[in-house]
Formats: sequence, C-alpha cells, structure tokens
Amino acid sequence: MSDILLEVKGLKKHFVVGKNFLKRHRSVCKAVDDVSFTIKKGKTLGLVGESGCGKSTLGRCVLRLHDITDGEVSFDGVNLFNLAPKELKELRRDIQIIFQDPFASLSPRMTIHDILREPLDVNKIGTVNEREAKIAEVMKIVGLRPQVLNRYPHEFSGGQRQRVGIARALVLEPKFIVADEPVSALDVSVQAQVLNLIADLQEKKGISFLFIAHDLAVVQHICDDVGVMYLGRMVEKAPAETLYKNPKHPYTRALLSAIPVPDPTYKSDKIQLQGDVPSPLSPPSGCTFRTRCPEATERCKEEVPMTHDVGVDGEEHLVACHLYR
Amino acid sequence: MNNLHKDSLDIEKAAPILTVDNLTVDFTTDKGTIRAIDGISFEVMPGETLAIVGESGCGKSVSSLSIMGLVPSPPGNIVDGSIKFNNRELIGLSEKEYRKVRGNDISMIFQEPMTALNPVLKISTQMVDVIRLHNKVSKSQAKERAIKMLETVGIPSPESRIHEYPHQLSGGMRQRVMIAMALSCGPDLLLADEPTTALDVTIQAQVMSEMVRLQKQLGMAVVLVTHDLGVVAESCQRVVVMYCGQIIEQAPVNDIFANPKHPYTQGLLKSIPVVRERKISRLPTIDGVVPDLLDLPSGCRFTDRCQFSEDRCRTNRPQLSGTSTHQVACFNPIGGM
Repeated sequence: MSDILLEVKGLKKHFVVGKNFLKRHRSVCKAVDDVSFTIKKGKTLGLVGESGCGKSTLGRCVLRLHDITDGEVSFDGVNLFNLAPKELKELRRDIQIIFQDPFASLSPRMTIHDILREPLDVNKIGTVNEREAKIAEVMKIVGLRPQVLNRYPHEFSGGQRQRVGIARALVLEPKFIVADEPVSALDVSVQAQVLNLIADLQEKKGISFLFIAHDLAVVQHICDDVGVMYLGRMVEKAPAETLYKNPKHPYTRALLSAIPVPDPTYKSDKIQLQGDVPSPLSPPSGCTFRTRCPEATERCKEEVPMTHDVGVDGEEHLVACHLYR
Repeated sequence: MNNLHKDSLDIEKAAPILTVDNLTVDFTTDKGTIRAIDGISFEVMPGETLAIVGESGCGKSVSSLSIMGLVPSPPGNIVDGSIKFNNRELIGLSEKEYRKVRGNDISMIFQEPMTALNPVLKISTQMVDVIRLHNKVSKSQAKERAIKMLETVGIPSPESRIHEYPHQLSGGMRQRVMIAMALSCGPDLLLADEPTTALDVTIQAQVMSEMVRLQKQLGMAVVLVTHDLGVVAESCQRVVVMYCGQIIEQAPVNDIFANPKHPYTQGLLKSIPVVRERKISRLPTIDGVVPDLLDLPSGCRFTDRCQFSEDRCRTNRPQLSGTSTHQVACFNPIGGM
C-alpha cells in the first residue's frame, strides 16, 4: 500500500468571466494554473499566499466542490473526477473541510447538536445511540462542554464556533481535512488554542490536512511541508523547516520579511514589495511575479520559469524562479 | 501644503493634545445594559503614536468612535467622563459643532476601506467634498490639493486615479485613499481603527511604513487601534492595553515588550504568531475565553483566565497604579512594580 493519500497532478482551474451572450470578449481567470503536489498519510501541507492567489480555489478543487479545467486529483488512489455521484458521496466521508468564517459557515437556525448530527444522518451511520455517542465524543475532543449542545451558533464566541466547525468535520472520522484559513478570523490568544487543537488531531487521530493560510507564521507549527502560491502558481514548496531557514524564491523571502516582528528594538531590513498583486485576468508575461520582484531581469519577462528541485540531501525543495537555473 | 505643517513647530510643548478622563460608555441591548467602556483615562501627546491594543469586544473601537462623536445613540450612551481635545470639551458638542472638528482637527480611518468609501462617487468628488467643507477654496484648488495628497500617500499617477471609483482600486490603494482623505485637511490627530487588518501582509507592510512616514512628515498625533502587537512594535511609542472595557496596562512600547507587568499583556505577547528558529510542540495560549460583558466577575475581570489569581482578585477590582510612565491594574504585577 502506498503511503500517498492525496495526489494532485497538473491541476488547472480556469474561470471564464465577462462572457457576453454572443460569447465574445471572454476573458479567462487562471485561478489555479498547473499545480502539482502530494500529501502523505498523516502529514500536513500548508498552502500560503495573498488574497487572489488561488489557494482557496485549489482547496475546493481537491474536495471536488469545483469542477476542474485540467489535471487530476486522486485520493487514496481513486481519481475524484471519475466518480459517479453515489461513489463521490461515499468518498466525501473521508474528506472534510473547515471554513474560514465561523460566523457564515454554521446555520444560524440549527442547534449545535443538529449541526453535528446532520452529517451522521445524511450518511446513515450507526444507530441513534451510536450517533449520540459520536457527538459526545467529538464535543469532548474539541473541548466544548456537553451542556452547550442545545444552544445556537450566535450564542458562541468566534473561537468556540470554530471548534464547532472542527467538530462537524471530525464527526465522520475523515482521513483528510481541508482547513481553509481556519484561524484568520480569530483573536491571537484564541488562534493559538485552535492551532494546538489541530496539532492534537494530527497526532492522536493521524488525520492529514491541507492547511490554507495567508500568514507564514501561523503555518509553521502544524505543517510538515509548505507551499507558497502566487497568481495561481506554486512558486516554492519545501519541508517546513527548510523553507523557513532557507527560502529561495524572492516572493517567499518578501512574505517572510513582511511579518511584523513583535520587538520594538529589532531593526528590520525589510524587503518591501512595491505595488499590488496584478489582476489574475491579465497576468504579466513570463514570470507572474516579475512586476514586483526586486531581482527581476529581462529573461523573467520572456520565459515562464519552470519548477526545479534545488533540495540537498535528497530533500525535495521545489522552486520556480530563473535565479536557480 | 503649508498648513499641513501648522503644528509641527509646537510638538515640543508638553500639554497633551487629547485627554480622555474616566470615559464610560453603555450600550442598551435586548438582554440588558452592557458597559462597553468602563472608566478609561489616557492622554495623547502632540506628535506621538499611541496604540490601543486588545481583543475583539474589549472596547478599543468604541473608544475611538467616542472621540469622534460617532457612537450610535441609541443604543450607545456616553454616561460619564470627558474627552478634551486641545483643552476643549468634546462631549456635549452639537452635531454641527462636531462636524467642524471631524476631518479638520481629528480624522479617522476605518478597517474596511470599501465600506468607508462611497461606492457611487468618484474619488475626486469625495475628496473635494471633504476639503471644501473645511476650507474656503474653489473646486479646482480643492482638486489640486486632493491630487497632491494622493501623491503624498504613494498612489501612482494620481491625476488619472482620482477619476476612478472605489471598486476600481485594490484594497491597499483604497486604504491609501482613505488615509489621503483623512489627512487632506491637516488634522492634529488621526484615529486609525485597525487600518491594515483587512490587507495582505505585503500590502500591510507598505501601508504601515507609509503611515509612519506621513506621521513624521506632518507631525500629527496618531492613535492606532489594533489587535496586532507586531504592528505596534514597529510603529508606536506608547501602548494602552484594554481588556473587557478597562485599561489594564499602559507603558512606553519598549517597556511593554521587554517587561510586561499584567499577566494578560504577557499572555498576549506570547501568543503572537512569529516565525521561530525551530518548531515548538505547543503554542503558548491564554486559557479560557473573554467573559461575557453582561456577566462580568466582580473583581479583576481577567481573574478566571489568570494563572496567578488569588482570593482578593475575585472580590476586589485592582486600580491602575505604578510609575509615571508604566501603570498596571493588577495586585500581583509580574516582577513587582
């Protein structure tokens, strides 16, 4: 048995926008453009990038919440996009998602109990008693008291709601969870609580995660590998420790240096990027990062950089930049 | 541009530009009256940057709204205290008088620039309106000044950008327009309520360094309301930490980071996500949750989450005390006082 749980090969997701009724003037937004990666059983990949880089779209493609333009997503050796609806429904038990906004992703008209019970009912799992036992179990795992089961989401704080969201993802005992910015909407002290909870789940339940975030500092503690995305492309991917110690791509370096340092005596030599992320509707030619890159040359304008492995000691460190070839 | 510098000369004088004394604000809700701010006092010196730090619901935004006279009433109600700007009492001003203060003496920028800008008006219309409200200038003069302000905040080709609508600009650009608009009448005090929270990290770095540069160039005082202590460390001189509507610690920025006295401040500092040398197994957290404002503990409001809590913390409320620069509201300040 292979230890690869999720394999994404050459994934492309293009959205057609601005289509008029004569189908003219169509422009294509390449939200995800030729991205490949694998996640091994029990491991976590962090996906980092700024708004509009395609990280959430990628997360949704992995769940087949979007259809894809090209490429392949296989989960446990099964191609997700070849499955009949019934088979897909069965497979989805193993793949769950935690959303960014704990305020929008829980139904305001359902009690916590109903929210947690619904996935079990839909998938017809166990007897009534077993379902209730399962609910009690996940409540305990995420650290919510059983007394709150009959409350509604609005009675909870952001951190507690995110725990409910995590409990809902856990109730079907998935092998894999896509966590789409699960802590971005939370206060710092609560952020750390939720991150610790996710770390526990990795350790005790052996669940694999695709952890999407816009902040490299948040990702460090819970990811084995980290991928950095820019305008739909994966520009760098490496084991977490290597990426933080030895970032290769100029964009990764800029992202790392943009994190504010909580030390007033620290004199930073920040790499400050100029300008904004270009519109994904009309990305720059060649390397899409060249318009903001401090190291851009003529070559970057003409040639799209290929992904190369620059890792040492057999470690895979992928980077798509002309500086390294 | 000259009047933008009108106050840079008297930064030296020691009188505070803003004095908030025992400010108390209540909100009426279906479930009862909530005291969003409970007797806070602080001062802002001319030309300094003061940070008000705290988590959601601690009252930091209500404080800045109170200074601007923008607390919605009802449900909000300023029940006690005073807000003095250049020795003039602001509480109790009529709406007409307050409008003269807003934009001219005190300006504010908000967290979400898209909702703070009018989506159906061009940038030029919105900026000219603000400038002409406070200054007797012609439309073309006002526009010229608006273009100059956009240039000052680092917007490329401001002459053409000024004719665009807010939706045509990116988030970072919109926030720059907000800053340009807020500074267009040369205020003495700028209130910035989470100005970079909605922006990406690389854009946040741009906007913050722009704000620090402008603040030095124009010599105004800034009150930065934020939950991000990383941003505070890089741009502020003094820090006020709020918890559940009260100030629990205030000190110069170096003191707060090197020597936090309140257990809550220490917890906040420890839980900032930073890139560490190597991965650690558990991230430090503050246990528990912020208490419900409708059901506050009678003593110290942090007591249920505090590892040093003792009996008197549960029954008595600690008052702010300490040196002239560093004050803390705690019976057992870390490392003594």
